[in-house]
Amino acid sequence: MLQVARLVDNAITRNVDADGNVFVYVNPGEAERRYLADNYKLDEHTLNSALDPDEQARLEFEPEHVAMIFKRPHNYSSEDEFVFRVTSAGLFLFQDKLIIVLSESVPMFEGKVFARISSFQDLVLKIIYSSIAHFVGHLKVINAVSESLEDQINTSMQNKYLLNLFSLEKSLVYFLNAINSNAKLIERLKLSAAKIGFSQDNIEFIDDLLIENSQCYEQAAIYSNILASMMDARASIVSNNLNWLMKTLTIITIAIMLPTFVVSVFSMNVEFPGRTHPHMFWIVMAMACVSVFIVRMVWLWKRW
Amino acid sequence: MFKRSVTQTIEVTNSTGLHARPCLAIVNTVRRFQSEVSIRKDSETVDASEILQLMSLGAAQGTKLVVTATGRDAQKVMVALTNLFADHFGLG
Repeated sequence: MLQVARLVDNAITRNVDADGNVFVYVNPGEAERRYLADNYKLDEHTLNSALDPDEQARLEFEPEHVAMIFKRPHNYSSEDEFVFRVTSAGLFLFQDKLIIVLSESVPMFEGKVFARISSFQDLVLKIIYSSIAHFVGHLKVINAVSESLEDQINTSMQNKYLLNLFSLEKSLVYFLNAINSNAKLIERLKLSAAKIGFSQDNIEFIDDLLIENSQCYEQAAIYSNILASMMDARASIVSNNLNWLMKTLTIITIAIMLPTFVVSVFSMNVEFPGRTHPHMFWIVMAMACVSVFIVRMVWLWKRW
Repeated sequence: MFKRSVTQTIEVTNSTGLHARPCLAIVNTVRRFQSEVSIRKDSETVDASEILQLMSLGAAQGTKLVVTATGRDAQKVMVALTNLFADHFGLG
């Protein structure tokens, strides 16, 4: 799917029909990939990298353009079961145009950061910035989900919530790897600033990107460490909750078992003293109650 | 105690639907108020202050959600939620 936008007079206009200079290809088909490779001389391997979620972020210089592969969070859906994945995206910067290749549809050029765009180079940096902001947003969600799962675990006897926490831990590993990969790209962008044509303002913005990305990485690392270090404790809580349930069930079983035994003894079809006593029924009932009382006393005495 | 109940149907208009970040934005908004808020999609009703439940809703773009707020500040939370949906959850 192709979306065309136009960058003119420091502003970007979306969904233009003609004279576009920013082309957004979302999950391009075979024909579109062929078109991109033939018409814009995009390297096929780099193009495939932009759509491969496992690809690392990198910068490549081609004769007519600069190719950037960067990492961004994958759109979360309810089927993901608390696994927050990452995906890749490609930016192909030409002298007079920018081609963006995405594996899934995301809202582009939205937010205050895109209010003023001075050049294609500026647009590239702002797209990378929005990706970092997206990572930070997902980290906040991971933290909120983690807190909510902890509340559930405190009273749970199932592994479900524990497995969800494992999913979050796995997601943070993906995030750390992706954010670190983006850091390498941003550093390379700074080193190649003159070659790419970044202005002094752009270079200052790259410094900001490095700081933002580094803070994002530290935040992910902290969440990951907290989750990893508390996982054993949480597993113990679930196990302990289950033990408490078993203990309660055992109390109920024993409390029922002894009076049942008393009653069943007196129900045997044999002669025993006092069988014809007029109050024998209530005597048996009293003995059954006393047995429950004895169990309770032993329970308290042993401090079970 | 006097409790008001306000119900409103709100459509999800942002292209990516009610995914992770919008769910957090809804939870944060609801928790600022005292009223209890529930969101219904078809036959499924979830507590809007619980992110786990909200994220399981899977509301895509165009989905109509029935939002019910119950409490002293029900009207205020409903206005805040309506603005949040209209603002695309502050994400762009």
